Amino acid sequence: MEERPYRSASGAPIALRHRQHSASCRELAVRCPRLQLRSLSAVTSAVWLAAYGLFVLSENSMVLSAAIFITLIGLIIYLHFVKIDQESLLVIGSLGIQVTSSYASGKESTTFIEMGQVKDVVINEAIHMQKVIYYLCILLQDPGDPQGVSEVVPLFQSSKPRLDCLIEVYKSCQEILEQRKTAPQSS
Amino acid sequence: ENSPAPLPERAIYGFALFLGSWFGFMLYLIWAYVPETWLFSLGLTYWPQKYWAVALPAYLLVSIGIGYILLFGINMMSTAPLNSTHTVTDNYAKKHQQKKFQEEAIPALRDIPISEVNRMFFLPEK
Repeated sequence: MEERPYRSASGAPIALRHRQHSASCRELAVRCPRLQLRSLSAVTSAVWLAAYGLFVLSENSMVLSAAIFITLIGLIIYLHFVKIDQESLLVIGSLGIQVTSSYASGKESTTFIEMGQVKDVVINEAIHMQKVIYYLCILLQDPGDPQGVSEVVPLFQSSKPRLDCLIEVYKSCQEILEQRKTAPQSS
Repeated sequence: ENSPAPLPERAIYGFALFLGSWFGFMLYLIWAYVPETWLFSLGLTYWPQKYWAVALPAYLLVSIGIGYILLFGINMMSTAPLNSTHTVTDNYAKKHQQKKFQEEAIPALRDIPISEVNRMFFLPEK
């Protein structure tokens, strides 16, 4: 089990942890950069300065308490719904792929895709907000149409690792996905 | 057939447009600057309000400015999102060719699937 530092698409430092549980089970977890103290204090000071300016203009002290309330509620909502702490990918050969995102407040959201639906795991490049980025995605297939791609599930959306990290995750996944071609078909 | 070279007809079109645009500009200046009473005394009573001589250019400039932003926004909206299949394939992608591979012949043209491209790029060990 190693943890190696990489960079995200915007330059922030991220870390990839690669664990091999067994011959056909791998877990790859990407840890996103933590919430910076300087950005938190910058946003809080901006909101409170604006509220103080409003208070000076309107002489209403409710503005100040409302600003404190908004800051607290906003921080809680941000930590619980927006700020992702770690994204992990668990590949179990012949069973499926599990994608977990854990938020900064401790909430975890999990998606499981069974192996029959998985066509391939590929590195795709696409235009995203005036940039062209590489991102890892799972191609899903319709059981009735093994040649076509029915859906694309992008992975590591909030950490957005760069190509070197993605290549490592890709090679790891391909080693397991190749096993299902050589393994005897059970259904 | 369709060359951009100058022709006599094109010279005539150009001159007609030149005269027409000068005439239009002079008409616009007269409408904007000549006082209404003078126009009424000439018998031209049903011309539009002079308000529009200022309003229409203002509307035009604001539309051009909004047009830049609108075009940028429309471009961003029609970019396929990261989870759409249009980033990988589309209706016109040629499927696998059924022809057998012949030696020393150029292979048939087809769209290489993304799985194959990935394997070629990222799997070989350096």
